Amino acid sequence: MGYIGELFVMAMTAIFIQNFVLSRFLGLCPYLGVSKKLDSALGMGMAVIFVMTLASAITFLINKYLLIRFDLMYLQTIAFILTIAALVQFVEMVIQKNAPALYKSLGVFLPLITTNCAVLGVAILNTTAFRTDGITNYNFLDSVLNGFFSGVGFTVVLLAMAGLRMRMEKAELPKSMQGMPIALILAGIMALAFYGFMGFRI
Amino acid sequence: MKYYIKLSLILLVFCAVASGILAYINTLTAPVIAERKAREAIATREALIPGATFSEAQTATGETYFIATKPDSDEILGYTFIAAEIGYSSTVQTMVGVDKDFKVLAIKVIDQAETPGLGANCTNDNFTSQFSGMTLEKLYVDKDGGAVVSLSGATITSRCIANSIRNRIQAVQADLATGGTQ
Amino acid sequence: MNFSKELTKGIIKDNPIFILVLGMCPTLAVTTSVINALGMGFAATFVLLCSNIIISMIKNITPPKIRIPVYIVVIASFVSIVDMVMAAYLPDLHKSLGLFIPLIVVNCIILGRAEAFASKNNVIMSIADAIGMGLGFTLSLTVIGIVRELLGAGTLLGIRMTPLTYDPMLIAILAPGAFITLGFLMALMNMLKEKK
Repeated sequence: MGYIGELFVMAMTAIFIQNFVLSRFLGLCPYLGVSKKLDSALGMGMAVIFVMTLASAITFLINKYLLIRFDLMYLQTIAFILTIAALVQFVEMVIQKNAPALYKSLGVFLPLITTNCAVLGVAILNTTAFRTDGITNYNFLDSVLNGFFSGVGFTVVLLAMAGLRMRMEKAELPKSMQGMPIALILAGIMALAFYGFMGFRI
Repeated sequence: MKYYIKLSLILLVFCAVASGILAYINTLTAPVIAERKAREAIATREALIPGATFSEAQTATGETYFIATKPDSDEILGYTFIAAEIGYSSTVQTMVGVDKDFKVLAIKVIDQAETPGLGANCTNDNFTSQFSGMTLEKLYVDKDGGAVVSLSGATITSRCIANSIRNRIQAVQADLATGGTQ
Repeated sequence: MNFSKELTKGIIKDNPIFILVLGMCPTLAVTTSVINALGMGFAATFVLLCSNIIISMIKNITPPKIRIPVYIVVIASFVSIVDMVMAAYLPDLHKSLGLFIPLIVVNCIILGRAEAFASKNNVIMSIADAIGMGLGFTLSLTVIGIVRELLGAGTLLGIRMTPLTYDPMLIAILAPGAFITLGFLMALMNMLKEKK
């Protein structure tokens, strides 16, 4: 299988088969918290894709050229989370200075991303992930693209959820079901739908 | 500017202290982890081929396996090795014991993180015990025309175990046939 | 503000899961069985307790500008300690919690308590707060774990609870079951609150 095929498998896996939110349970706080409105969900999704792609790149380099080289694997958690926190701060500053329009739409979501476990999750998963042959570890490009596709997977379900919840506002529900409980049950039904992809191995 | 240097220094001190503590704890726990893994490997080997003495050997490609002999003679009872392949959501590692004709004696799944309730059932005895007595040509899952009955809802996990065992048996067999490096 | 009030608020009034809806990822991911739920609960409680103590101790020497990175370093250190110790002494639990141990770092409950409580209160109060919140978290996880393990596997702590004729409802320990169980439990909590 050529590299394009490899990429196709990676994209399908990250977006549908092992969706970050519905199958791996990562990034649930923003998924439940920022899915009340479609436009804010879109902003959050874009910010997550951006940070996840960048974070995958930087943590890959840190892991390979610092942690593995100097046998410091026990510092992985602390090194990764600090990198991500610094990265988010840096991105925020750069966007604020150079692209005020973008900052207006993404800015409020950036600080929230530091504690989004999907970002740290993809960084850690990249270090142990394999290509379809089961032997080759992800290289730099694989990791970056996996970060990107995982972010896309997150955004797809976030947008779907926001769309559903906007309609749900109009539904008449028992009082105790309103808000979070019905959102969770919706998420469950969505996860059930995504289980249709389970077992697909391309 | 001076203020920012001071801030960075403070943060650096915190990081240094934290790394120092973690390094110390790592020196305490790393040997425990290594020792437990070694002990578990020995126990599993002995459970797979009871009453044998084991000696380590390597294939030409550098993969380790163990030769089981009778304690008081050189008579070969069988071989044990670890078969590993990617399952649904993790690498599934199985330790396999085979007799000298490479018929499976017993297997044990030693490492996996498959879906609880589905693939994770591969550690159950009623799944692993069916492998006993199987020869190379039977080591396919039922969907691929073999004798291994798949776990319900976890064909991928079942297939990965069957395939990994088959591949490793073939690798060790081929290596011994060419003389090996004992 | 007194000690016992801080201790008990996390269990019902400010329950981190059912009321504040924080720390959703481990809540849904590891509650496939009671033992996993307890393991995650205690691991998070330990990290919360230690980081609350340290953060309230160093609150006067941390410059406000870099407080968040400092908190993250403190929390990440304790998480790594838990990770290593569990790998050494509780290998099975370590394996089944997997990725979610390092992810305790980004559990919003812990950073949230550091920022909202420990950085403003003394050590004793911070201990009470951490124990209360930790217990609330552990209890909620355990309740979800009980429901899911009982429905999905027919066992509790690995011991068979249902008659053999009960065919386990597998969906309860799979991903969709996690969301649906929590949704219904939350609705139940809301209903009880309304009745009061």
